[in-house]
Amino acid sequence: MTPLLSGLVMLLVLLALLAIGTPIAFSLGLVAMGALYTVYGGFFLETVGEQFFGYLSPFTLVAVPMFILMGAAVASSPAGKDLYAALDRWLNRVPGGLVLSNLGACSIFAALSGSSPATCAAIGKMGIPEMRQRGYPAEIAAGSIAAGGTLGILIPPSVTMIVYGIATETSIGRLFLAGLLPGLMLTVFFMAWTIIACRRRGLGLSDLTQNFTMRERFAALPRVVPFLLIIAGVLYVLYGGHATPSEASGVGALFCLILVAVIYGIFSHSWKFSQMRVIFRDTLKESVMIMLIIGASELFAFALSSLFITQTVAQAIADMDVNRWVLMAVINLFLLVAGFFLPPVGVILMTAPILLPIITNAGFDPYWFAVILTINMEIGLITPPVGLNLYVINGIAPDITLAQILRGSLPYVLCMVLGIVALCAFPQIALFLPDYVMGAAK
Amino acid sequence: ADMTLRASHQWPGGKGDVRDEMVQLIGKELEKADVGLKVQVFPGESLFKAKDQWGAVTKGQVDITAFPLDYASGRHPAFSATLMPGLVGSHERAKRLNDSPFMEDIKAEVEKAGAIILSDAWLAGGFVSSEKCITSPESAKGQTLRAAGPAFEEMLVGAGASISSMPSSEIYTGLQQNVLTGANTSSGSLVSYRIYEVTKCLTAPGENALWFMYEPILMSKRSFDRLDEKQQEAVMAAGKVAEDYFAGEAEKLDEELVKTYKDNGVEVTTMSKENYDAWLKIAKETSYKNFEEKVPNGKKLIDEALAVE
Amino acid sequence: MRLYITVISAISRVLGVLAGAMLFSAVLSVSHMVFVRSVLGWSTVWQTEYTAYAIVAATFLGAPWVLIERGHVNVDILQLAAPRPLRTAMQVASALVSLLFVAMLAYAGWFYFEEAWSGGWTSDTVWAVPLWMPLLPMPVGTVMLALQYIAEIMRLALDGADPVEHQPVLFSASTEEARP
Ligand code: NA
Ligand code: NA
Repeated sequence: MTPLLSGLVMLLVLLALLAIGTPIAFSLGLVAMGALYTVYGGFFLETVGEQFFGYLSPFTLVAVPMFILMGAAVASSPAGKDLYAALDRWLNRVPGGLVLSNLGACSIFAALSGSSPATCAAIGKMGIPEMRQRGYPAEIAAGSIAAGGTLGILIPPSVTMIVYGIATETSIGRLFLAGLLPGLMLTVFFMAWTIIACRRRGLGLSDLTQNFTMRERFAALPRVVPFLLIIAGVLYVLYGGHATPSEASGVGALFCLILVAVIYGIFSHSWKFSQMRVIFRDTLKESVMIMLIIGASELFAFALSSLFITQTVAQAIADMDVNRWVLMAVINLFLLVAGFFLPPVGVILMTAPILLPIITNAGFDPYWFAVILTINMEIGLITPPVGLNLYVINGIAPDITLAQILRGSLPYVLCMVLGIVALCAFPQIALFLPDYVMGAAK
Repeated sequence: ADMTLRASHQWPGGKGDVRDEMVQLIGKELEKADVGLKVQVFPGESLFKAKDQWGAVTKGQVDITAFPLDYASGRHPAFSATLMPGLVGSHERAKRLNDSPFMEDIKAEVEKAGAIILSDAWLAGGFVSSEKCITSPESAKGQTLRAAGPAFEEMLVGAGASISSMPSSEIYTGLQQNVLTGANTSSGSLVSYRIYEVTKCLTAPGENALWFMYEPILMSKRSFDRLDEKQQEAVMAAGKVAEDYFAGEAEKLDEELVKTYKDNGVEVTTMSKENYDAWLKIAKETSYKNFEEKVPNGKKLIDEALAVE
Repeated sequence: MRLYITVISAISRVLGVLAGAMLFSAVLSVSHMVFVRSVLGWSTVWQTEYTAYAIVAATFLGAPWVLIERGHVNVDILQLAAPRPLRTAMQVASALVSLLFVAMLAYAGWFYFEEAWSGGWTSDTVWAVPLWMPLLPMPVGTVMLALQYIAEIMRLALDGADPVEHQPVLFSASTEEARP
């Protein structure tokens, strides 16, 4: 069998296993094992143990569970609600203030949690009822939160970026910086669209606001500021040259755990210390899932390489000699479709190692591509059939139908496509900050 | 049809890395020999991860590998002797070492584990620092350093340095983020990992080279035994060609290191004889001592190596 | 069969708690390393290695419990669309192929552990920790994961298909239970 044919067989078996609902990790793993058997014979199992253990034990991987733990700690606390309330009180005089607070809270919470559905749930629980109560249409309320939530994987820290960095051996610090400006750009796009959409329905935004006294404004701060300080601290430690991402995330997780226990333990009656158990449950669930996908996809990559499939595909694409922008468009389309069905981590681990050499050969920057890839994954989060954020919104606002949420999200998908176009036209949006802070990549 | 041998290593492919060139050369020689063998090279850890290659080659999952032998010292503590501070000294002496009783013992252990050596290769290496040049043991005190293996780590701890254990692929980020202030690794890796971008000072191997590592080309015994006699002869001959090629290149690697670092504005220095002796004194009290205690025939191995002219 | 399911699930939950403890110990060892190195200026030797091993241990030991919690993410659109008998068949089939992979991984993990144990292998660092210690969670976790899959298949045989909801939602427990 030629490498391309065996690659096709592997792909078809993988799709069949995924289709019947086999977990991603085990589907990848089983196809890999089958392929390895054909290459090495039965005794290939004698080295798989060492390899699988090795795939999971690099110190850089420690950042994955640590940032998830940080996010779970923040998500378990009422910090999302408090953040939202604080922004609302401070921004209520600005036209469209409530929208700004919602999307602003989303992007700040995204920076805290590194996770999209968590952002969506934390801000949406408070934001959606509040927006609707003040007269915003259900579609806009749901759509803006669903879209705002996706910023969690673009604005640093981001588990998705860490996984990309590990899969492609690029600098995680640089990836984080590359995501920041595009994340803010998307936030602005989202805000702009929301304001336009409200105007078109004849909703004067100033009518929808509510007044607060300065006392009320300051009262909202004490519970929010410490978390902002932690995230600032983590980023400072990362870029100020005191620790690696794994170390910064570990210390950040410890601080968040302590803060959540202290602030909400003391100030809030609703938060109990038994929340700690919940935080660890969620973190364990999430990181075991991701770690096993990481291990299995490395094994899958090993099988592809053993059959010389990776090398043959890369060579075939290099030989095609198509225009680099046509190539980029095809890759984007492919990622978009993959994102419709698979979660971001799965897509990145399965495709990044194969795509990266193709991308760099065509003269694209790997950090810029990480941002493009991530925005594609963000789109996947708010499109059917597998769109985590849609279902989170559906869960927290059951009276809004899935069709309404979808209709509300669609314009934000277009905002993201616009973002991709803007990034293609001006790669500096992604590359300026990392180059400025860490020096030009050589 | 031709039999395809899989060859694996951890360095960039087709970019002039000497270890990659050696493996490619073996492939070319075998093709020339026309004995029905060809070699498929998997560079840059594209098949097995660097440290997994030992298990793979001894079990026959991979046929040929360029492998830094100290990576297997957790399984064969004696291999630590192949990355022992000051045990080699110069490229000339490295060549003489290859045929000494010391290397006979090491090679015997390699073969017992299931691999044979096609080509010998000792690579020199140096220190880099983003803080201040590492020459004397005092200059290393208080720095956070990444060493290549346990024997060097023990010596550096003895000099009062902090150790941060990480794979060589993380040296760049470590230095960039000040988690490390310095590191030591081979001349080839110091260039290929572009570490000159994040350091102020290089201590080049020079006259008094403390750092030498044995990075031979290995072949799986299982795979070798599957070949017919003519093929086996061709493989050994190809290995010899690669070894001779390396011998011609070894010193050029150090020259290229110095040139690359100077071109990139990095200060370049070397160790004086006094510095070298001071390091060796610490090494004798730490890594040598531990080695002799931990490895059953450790004392014999060290004595044999030191006995070489 | 019910007894088997109960016993295996209970063991998986205990391992889950152990995995949580490993995770917490990793947080502490990373923090300890950063503190000791940057504040006290001491040499750090064992922390990076320990932290990485603890995360691997948490992954393997936590895997059987994550299966009980339906945490191993999959694509469930076809299961959702399928009528109940077909859905049962799909769930049994996916459990069987998962079991096949997990069993192979368990064998591979055991093989490596046994090699390290009988060879007296250590890690190749100054710390030189006996390798069987960090390797033990791999065979233990994967064997338990296999046994848990057998329990899941038994449960499907006894009770029929599981209801399928859209999940797993990240942080579902934290965000659900924490909201006042
Ligand atoms: Na984030
Ligand atoms: Na989707």
